[in-house]
Amino acid sequence: MDFDDKIDLGMSRRDILKGSMAVAGAVAASTMPFSKAFAAGYPDHNLKSYIPTREGGGADRLHRAITGVWKNHLGAAFEPSFFPGAAGRVGYEKYMGLAKDDMYELLFGNMGPEVLNWVVKKPTFDLNTFQYFAQVDSDPGIIFVSRRSKFKTIDDLIAEGKKRTLNVGVSRLAHPATLGALALGRHTGAKFNPIPLSGGKNTRAGVATGEMDCGALPSGGIVNRKKGFKVLLMFSHKNPLPGRSENAPTMNDHFKTSMPSLIAGSRAFGVKKSAIAKHPERFAKIEKTLKEVFKDPAFKKAYAKTKSPWEFVGYRDAAQAAEYTKNIAKIGAEFKDLLTGKKT
Amino acid sequence: MELDYDLAFYVEMFARTFSFWWVILPAIFLGLIVGAIPGFSAANTIIILLPLTLAMDPETGLTFMVALYASSRMGAGIPAILVNIPGTAGAAATPLDGYPMTKQGRGQQALAMSFVASIAGGLLTTVVALISLPWLAQIAFYLHSVEMIVIMFFGISLIATIAAKDTLKGLIAGFFGLMIGFIGTDVVYETPRGTFGFLELYDKVPLIPALVGLFAISEAFAIIENQSILTERGKAAMGKPGWAATFEGARIAASKWWHITWNSIIGLVIGVVPGAGAAIASFVAYQQSKTYSKTPELYGTGHVEGLIAPESANNGVTSGTLVPLLVIGIPGGATAAIMLVVLQFHGVTVGPDLFLTSPELAFGPFTAMAVTYAIMVFSVLPLARYMSNITVVSTIYMAPIIISFTLVGSFVPRAYLFDMNLALVFGVIGYVARKTGYHVAAILIGVILGPLMETYFLRAMKMSQGDIMVIFSSSIGNTLWVLLVISMALPYFMDYRRNKAALNDPYG
Repeated sequence: MDFDDKIDLGMSRRDILKGSMAVAGAVAASTMPFSKAFAAGYPDHNLKSYIPTREGGGADRLHRAITGVWKNHLGAAFEPSFFPGAAGRVGYEKYMGLAKDDMYELLFGNMGPEVLNWVVKKPTFDLNTFQYFAQVDSDPGIIFVSRRSKFKTIDDLIAEGKKRTLNVGVSRLAHPATLGALALGRHTGAKFNPIPLSGGKNTRAGVATGEMDCGALPSGGIVNRKKGFKVLLMFSHKNPLPGRSENAPTMNDHFKTSMPSLIAGSRAFGVKKSAIAKHPERFAKIEKTLKEVFKDPAFKKAYAKTKSPWEFVGYRDAAQAAEYTKNIAKIGAEFKDLLTGKKT
Repeated sequence: MELDYDLAFYVEMFARTFSFWWVILPAIFLGLIVGAIPGFSAANTIIILLPLTLAMDPETGLTFMVALYASSRMGAGIPAILVNIPGTAGAAATPLDGYPMTKQGRGQQALAMSFVASIAGGLLTTVVALISLPWLAQIAFYLHSVEMIVIMFFGISLIATIAAKDTLKGLIAGFFGLMIGFIGTDVVYETPRGTFGFLELYDKVPLIPALVGLFAISEAFAIIENQSILTERGKAAMGKPGWAATFEGARIAASKWWHITWNSIIGLVIGVVPGAGAAIASFVAYQQSKTYSKTPELYGTGHVEGLIAPESANNGVTSGTLVPLLVIGIPGGATAAIMLVVLQFHGVTVGPDLFLTSPELAFGPFTAMAVTYAIMVFSVLPLARYMSNITVVSTIYMAPIIISFTLVGSFVPRAYLFDMNLALVFGVIGYVARKTGYHVAAILIGVILGPLMETYFLRAMKMSQGDIMVIFSSSIGNTLWVLLVISMALPYFMDYRRNKAALNDPYG
C-alpha cells in the first residue's frame, strides 16, 4: 500500500471483500447453535478501552459519558487505559500490539488528528488491520481570536495576513484545524504560519496571551469561552452552533470554496478487524448496543456534564467514519510537505 | 479588570474560609502523604478523588483541592530532606542542601526550616496574589516563548554553578542530562529522536522514573554501604529528639525573612506563566540565591539559604498557577487544569466576570490557600520532631523500603512496567555518578529543564521562521539576557574581589 496516496480505513476493494467475508462468516456463525450460545454469554467481564490521550482530557470525559450509559445496554462496564504520547501514536501502537482480538478490547480515539499522524509518518502496524466502527461526535475546526485582538472579522485577519505572516496557534501540525488554516491561506493568499502548542489548553493560552495572532482548533473548547475568544470562521459545510459562535461564517460560504468539511474533533471507537472476523456476533452486539446509547436520555444527561455542545453528538457508522478518514487523509497528503517541514 | 473590594470583604472571606477547616485539615494530611511519595502528585490524587470533589458544592470542592495542592507541595520536600528523595520535580533542588543537613544530624531542624520557608513563602505570595490579581495576570501577556528561553537559561545555568567544584565533571553531567532530556518526539514535527525503538520514550523520558532512579534508588544503593544515613558526627549531634531543634529551625528560617520573600516572589512570577512550574522556579531560585549570597561556597554543604530558596519558591508557585486560571480562564499548571474541570462541571465560567458574579469562588481559592498555610503552622510544623526519626532507622531496612516504595511510585503515573525498569536504569546511572564524583542534580536539571527549553526554543524559531535572532527580539527578553549575564559573571567578580581583599590583608 502506498501510504502517501491512500489512507483508507475500511473502504478499499480488498477490505470490502474482507468485510463481506466477515459478514458471510457472521451469517454462517449465527446459524450454529454453539456460536449462538457463545454470543449469548458475551460479555462476561468488563471491556477495556485504549485511549491514546491523557486522563482527564476531552476524550476521557466523552468516553466516561458514553460508557457510563453503554454498560447498562451491553451488560458490562468499560475500563479505560490511557496511552498518551506522540500525537496518539503510542496509544494506537500499544493497542495493535497488545490488544486481544476477542472483542473485549476497543480503542477510543480522535480520528482526524490521528489519521493525519499516519499520513505524515507511517505506523508500524498494517492500517488495513484496524477499523473505526462508530464515530460519536463531530466538532468542526475553526479560526478564532482573543477578544482583545484587533481582528474582529475573518476579513480583517486575511487583510493583515496579506501584509505579514500571521502566527496561528494550533494543537499540533497534523490536525484537521491546521489543514483548515493552511487551506484558507492558500485560497486567500494570506500567509499563515502554524505554531504547534501541544494541545488545546496551550493553544488557547497562546492566543489569550497575545503570543499568537489567532488560533485554529475544534470549536468545542472555544464556544464555551465566549467571553475570552471570538470565532471568526468555521471549516464545516454548515455552522452547527450559530448562536454560540455569533453566526461565524463557514469557509465555503464566505470564500465560495468547495472544501470538504474539516471536522477537527471526531472521536470514534475502533477495533482490530481480526476481532470482527473472529467474533461477528459480538461485534454486532457492540454496534447494536452503542446505537442504543444515542437514543437513551441518560446519555444526553451524562453528556451535558462534559460541557460540550450536544449538537456535535451523533452516531455515524463504519462506512461514514471511513469516508471521513479518506477525505482527511486526502487533504493531509496535499499539505504533507508543510506538515513534515520539508516546505515552510 | 477593576476590583473594588474593601477590607471588610476580605475579612469576611477569610472568616468564611476558616469555617471549612473540616475540609482543609484532612486535605493537608492527604496532601503531605501524596506529595512525599514520588509518583503520587496533587494532580493525579485530585483526578482519583474527582467523584468526591464533584459531589461537593463548588466552594467546598475548591477549598479541598487547594488545600491538598498546597500541602502536597510542602510534602514533597520532606523525603527530599530526610532521605534525598524529592517527592516531585518541584522539590528536586531541595536535597542539595537539605540532605547534607540531615546527614549532619540536623534533619529535624532542616524540616522546621523547610516548613517555615514553605508556609511563609506560600502565605506571603497568596496575599500578594490576592491584592494584585489584575496586575499579576498581566505577566502572562509579557512572558512568551522568547522570554521563557532566557528564564530556562537561568535554571540551566545552575549546572555551571554546581560544576564549580569540578567544572569538567559538572558540565559533562549537565550535558548528559540535557541529552537524556531531548529523547522523545520533537514538539514541532513529532519526529522521534533517541528512543531506541521504545514507544514508551516517544512522550519524552518520564520525569518520575528519572527522579526516582537518580535520587532515590541510587541513594538506596549508596546508603546500604553504611549502617545509617547519618555521619558519625551527625549521630552525635542529633541526640534525643525534642522541641528545641524545631524552634531553632523555625527561628533560623524566620531570620532569613528577606530571603524567603524574594525567592517566593520568583516562584509567584514563574507560576503565573502558563506551562512554567515549580521545577523551573526552584532551580532558578536556588541559582539566584547562590549568586547573590555572601557565602556561596557553603551551598551544597547544608547551607540554610540553599534549603530555604527552593522551598519558598516552589510554594510561591502554588498561588501563581491560580492567577491565570481565575483571571483569564487559562490554567497555569496541571492541578489548576483539573480545578477548571471541576468548576466547569458545576457550571462555573472562570474569567474576569467571576470576580463580579461569584466573588466567593473567585477569591475563595486564594483565601483557602492562605488559610491552609496558616493551619499548617499548627498542624505540620510540630510533626518535624517525629518525622526526623526516620533518619535513625537502619539502612538495612531503609534501603529496601525506599526501593520498593519508589518503584511503585515510578509505575503509578503511566502504569507502564517499562517505567519501573527505567527507574532502575537511572538508579544505576545515579549510583555510578555518585561513586565517580558526577553530580546527579546536574543530570536531573538537564532532564527536567532541557525539554522545556527546547520546546520554547523550537516554538520561537518556528514563529520567526528560522531566524535565530528572534531570541534577542524582545525588550523584556533582552533585559533578562543582561540580568542572566550579570548573575553568571557576578560570582567570578565577587571571587576576584575576595581574593584581592585577601591579598591586600596584611594579616591574611
